[in-house]
Amino acid sequence: MKLADKFTLWFLGIILLVTPISMFTTLSNIRSRIDNSEIERLKAVNNEVAEQLRDGIAPDKYSQGRPIIILKIDKALPKSEVQVEKQRCDGATALNECRITVSSYYSINETNYQVSSYNYVTQSAHILKGMLFTAILKTMIIALIVLLTVRWVSKKILSPFNQTLNSIQKFNIKKKQPLALAETNTKEFQALNQFLKKMADKAVIEYGLVKEFSENASHELQTPLAVLRSKLELLTETDIQVNQASLIADMQNAIEKLSRINHSLLLLTKLENQEFEATSEINFTNYVQELLAIYEDRIAIKELTLTSNIDEQVYVKINPTLADMLFDNLLSNAIRHNVRNGTIHLRLNKRGIVISNTGPFPVFPTEELFQRFKKSNQCNNSVGLGLSIVKRICELNNFKVTYIYEDNLHILKVIFSEDQSIGEDKEEKEGYTDNQIVTI
Amino acid sequence: MKILAIEDNKELASSIYDYLAHENYICELAYSASEAREKLLFYSYDCIVLDIMLPDGNGLELLNFMKSEHISGSILIVSAKGALDDKIQGLESGADDYLTKPFHLPELHARLRAIHRRKNLEGNNIVSFKEIALNTNTFELKIHGKDLDTTRKEFELLLYFLVNKNRVLSRQAIANHLWGDYTDNLSNVDFVYQHVKNLRKKINQAGGADYIDTIYGLGYKFNTH
Repeated sequence: MKLADKFTLWFLGIILLVTPISMFTTLSNIRSRIDNSEIERLKAVNNEVAEQLRDGIAPDKYSQGRPIIILKIDKALPKSEVQVEKQRCDGATALNECRITVSSYYSINETNYQVSSYNYVTQSAHILKGMLFTAILKTMIIALIVLLTVRWVSKKILSPFNQTLNSIQKFNIKKKQPLALAETNTKEFQALNQFLKKMADKAVIEYGLVKEFSENASHELQTPLAVLRSKLELLTETDIQVNQASLIADMQNAIEKLSRINHSLLLLTKLENQEFEATSEINFTNYVQELLAIYEDRIAIKELTLTSNIDEQVYVKINPTLADMLFDNLLSNAIRHNVRNGTIHLRLNKRGIVISNTGPFPVFPTEELFQRFKKSNQCNNSVGLGLSIVKRICELNNFKVTYIYEDNLHILKVIFSEDQSIGEDKEEKEGYTDNQIVTI
Repeated sequence: MKILAIEDNKELASSIYDYLAHENYICELAYSASEAREKLLFYSYDCIVLDIMLPDGNGLELLNFMKSEHISGSILIVSAKGALDDKIQGLESGADDYLTKPFHLPELHARLRAIHRRKNLEGNNIVSFKEIALNTNTFELKIHGKDLDTTRKEFELLLYFLVNKNRVLSRQAIANHLWGDYTDNLSNVDFVYQHVKNLRKKINQAGGADYIDTIYGLGYKFNTH
């Protein structure tokens, strides 16, 4: 439910509750005012009649248009000088009027008189009818105006809030740009914006520090690693025994792995920092073919069969270094996680790359392998960062990457542009027929 | 060959010194930019190993200094920063090659030799040992004066061995030399093994002696003794 709707409901509820109360109060007020003023007037009439009696003038049957009844009473005067009597005020009669009789008692020239006069006033039911119509009309007009204007008003009032919301949604800590918020004169929104701005600025700074730290840490590690590696190399030159040699070999392997991890982490940091800008479109086919040549011997040694279907002149907007890394990771994964005498099928066209290769059944769901340090085989000699790098590169260039295991094949797809989906499997299978088969 | 190694990390500098001195090169060390400047002004060197990040200045400034002072010598940059920009910047400033840390000492040596060959031995691109002769320009291998057909990788492998004679070359160092940046694949051990095996077989068939020894689990050695 929208904020505006909530306010509207609350407001309408208040109107519905207050209207009857106010109507009742108004009605009784009007009633008593009318009655009281009539009573006052009748009293005045009685007084005037009494004055006439006092002066010895025989009063008329009517005075000021009101019927007068003058009675001589033998009894003593009642305590109160004025008595008010209301008749037929319960609305029982067809006449919509109420009769008010005011009797005043005077003692004039030793004689006690009762002077009564009466008049008809409008009954409350009658007033109520008139009021009810007005009240309903009023309520309806208010409700209508509220309903009609609430959207607009809320949009206007909440516009700073919506702008802020929009800014937060668009805010990307990785872009290192401070959060830009619109000015507002609403106190609450000012407080909100101020808080958000402070938080975002702090987050950007902290994020920068963390990035800087990991980059510096990676750099600082390189020199000690170089020292370790060189000292071990010098150690191998000395007169060593077989068991010592195997110890050194283990250390060298560990250093190798450490240096790979460090290298990959540094690379990921640089990717996160967006240090690789895509400046122009490059011919991706060239990169693929160059790398295939580099990996040729390794494919041959593992006795893999590579079939490829590479379109000429595939232009993609990507940083050349990243293009190289992307395909390097894809291809080296396909070789490494393959079986002897396995196959690799490579397809490149303007829509994307598909690499499908044979390999052991995946232990984890394939999508999880995009996470850092997630490896299909924990004791494997790989670092487990290759696919994270692939994913990051794809994210940076708005490519879509998927990894599925199907028909005993590991299929990795990188789709360059979203709108054109890469050929379905059927199409690919047909593609095999006109494949240029490269068996090395 | 006279070499100046400019490296602020003393342990690493001493490793470089040990390795190169063993090859009978004259090697000198400088731990800071100012020290390096002084040495460069007073002595001349064939090759300079230059660390980019020095405590008292950037190695690239030293490059410019050498250019302005007309100091000759091949320059090999060694840096912890592998970023492409640094690489390009270094090479544009007049460096001959670029090596990222952590490097293998045989690799450093091979690079220095390659730079030196390119710069100083005009036209003479033959690296030879007894019956083996390698032409680094045409990638031709001759055994007893007869051509031997090898793949590019096998050629590079043999050249690496010849440059680092009597040195233990670990499989990692060989893999790194052969595939450079494309060695993320840690199962390279098998590939190196295959290449070494093929190379030995080819040389053997051409009547060459088998100089390549397997050193325990460590790697290989081109044994001249």
